[in-house]
Amino acid sequence: MMRGTLFSRFYLVALFTFVFAPIVTSMVFSFNSDRFPTVPLGSFTTHWYQTAFARPEVWTAFGNSLVVAACAAALSTALGFATAYTDFRYGFRFKPAYLALALLPPTIPLVIMGLAMLAWLGRLGLSGTLTGIVIAHTVMGAPFAMAICRLRLSQMDPALEAAAWNLGASPWRTMRSVVVPFCLPALISAFCLTAAVSFDEFIVAWFVSGLNKTVPVMILEILQGNVDPQINAIGTVVFLTSMTLVVVAQLLILKKSAT
Amino acid sequence: MTTDDPLVRFDGVSKNYGDFQAVKGIDLTIGRGEFVAIMGPSGCGKTTTLRMLAGLETPSAGTITIDGNVMNDVPAHERDTPMVWQSLALFPFLNVKENVEFGLKMRGVEQSERHGRAMLWLERMGLKGFEKRRIDQLSGGQRQRVALARSLVTEPQMLLLDEPLSALDAHLVIRMQGVLTRLQKELGITFVYVTHSQSEAFAMADRVVIMGHGEIAQIGRPQEIFRAPKTRFVAEFVGRNNILPGEAPGQELVVAADRMTVSAEQPEGRAIAAEFVSEEFAGTGIICYFEGPDGAELKAQVTEAQLESLAPEPGKRFWLSWAPGAEHVMEAA
Repeated sequence: MMRGTLFSRFYLVALFTFVFAPIVTSMVFSFNSDRFPTVPLGSFTTHWYQTAFARPEVWTAFGNSLVVAACAAALSTALGFATAYTDFRYGFRFKPAYLALALLPPTIPLVIMGLAMLAWLGRLGLSGTLTGIVIAHTVMGAPFAMAICRLRLSQMDPALEAAAWNLGASPWRTMRSVVVPFCLPALISAFCLTAAVSFDEFIVAWFVSGLNKTVPVMILEILQGNVDPQINAIGTVVFLTSMTLVVVAQLLILKKSAT
Repeated sequence: MTTDDPLVRFDGVSKNYGDFQAVKGIDLTIGRGEFVAIMGPSGCGKTTTLRMLAGLETPSAGTITIDGNVMNDVPAHERDTPMVWQSLALFPFLNVKENVEFGLKMRGVEQSERHGRAMLWLERMGLKGFEKRRIDQLSGGQRQRVALARSLVTEPQMLLLDEPLSALDAHLVIRMQGVLTRLQKELGITFVYVTHSQSEAFAMADRVVIMGHGEIAQIGRPQEIFRAPKTRFVAEFVGRNNILPGEAPGQELVVAADRMTVSAEQPEGRAIAAEFVSEEFAGTGIICYFEGPDGAELKAQVTEAQLESLAPEPGKRFWLSWAPGAEHVMEAA
């Protein structure tokens, strides 16, 4: 018993070390004065942050990423909620197929998705635009949003909507004043999570971004030139942004399960 | 029984779900200010009937008339038929007062009036001081009263109740029965109460509708249904009675348990020999269970004094008899 506990603790620590070591390393070196990532470390510095964020293209990339993440998250959440609600509310003949299709995008290899998006958006004249990236990221984020909304809707008493109609609320009014408020924690959580997905996403964005680069695409392009600790600084900021979004999403998921 | 100007009329109303017919052409009128209980085993169509009245289901055939207007195609939110749900269906993201105000808000009643009316009902339901509470901070009985206040705040002419007491503890059920009967008398509105519990229906309703397999098996006052069940289905569902073979072939009699006399010696007239099985204390008396000829279960209600003098033991033989006229002849099934 004791040994088992000890082993699982060790396993847990090893697992988290394995997952977070590269990120922690990158964070540590972002504050290291040496040009190359070597041990022993040099002195503490914020120099790399200052140089990185003195570059206008870094600010542009961050701006692009934020705009894309916000738009893609809003669209994904709206789409995911609508899909989940359709599943919750209606029974129809091809429902399994409908659900399978709705949940399909994450199973497509990203390179394939990137290529397909490039071809498709190119045809629409949207490749290389932020709108194009938003569309691509919405496709990728919507299934996650749908999964979160479905979970929340499954916790809703089916009589709740009927009770609202029964008290004089039209179906649209019920959606607004009962279903959406009930799902609000899930909606915020879905928004944060899909924003994080978009903010981090690199492969598909690389295919469709053109000159309107997002942060991950820009990081790759800097990397192709040379190894520069500025990458660590930018990476740390990206990581913290995504982590904040994911943590907020998780807290809301946990909170909603409690009630 | 039926008033000239009923509030609700069901004329040949059916409801089909695919091949399954949940409700089979029922006719029913409900008067103004009447407390009607619709009762039956699960799956008998009682809840579907209630949901059609609320507009949550559309009848497949027949017409439902409320206050003289055909309601078949009127959507739920345009009807004045608030319902108290089995799950209560209170809005968890709203506090007590906001829950009660909901119906008024949907009807466009302005805020100050909403507040006043909600507070009045909260006070009436003994929930003063709870208005800011969240629903999950209330006890079962308190939630029940919030649900009632929420449905009644719009001053409807009819309240629908779908097994509202089934989630409550036994002692609370009795108390809520009192609250409901008093409310119904005070407000003078129609209550349509769906339940599978005989004790709830018989304790509260002016009239009981017994449903089985999507059809109405019998409509009547509680005593009528208890003393004179029309069919074997009703007699068995109501319970506390004896179903006996009648004189004519195929005919069946029913004798209520409290009209059955137990004696050690064979009395004059018709009597059935039966072996004692067990007894059950039932508040108003003691129900003794016997095994009659061909294994039929027989019941007789006796007093404590009678039980003592009979001194029954399992397997002991007794005679069960009843006064002439205490029996009721049922329709052949």
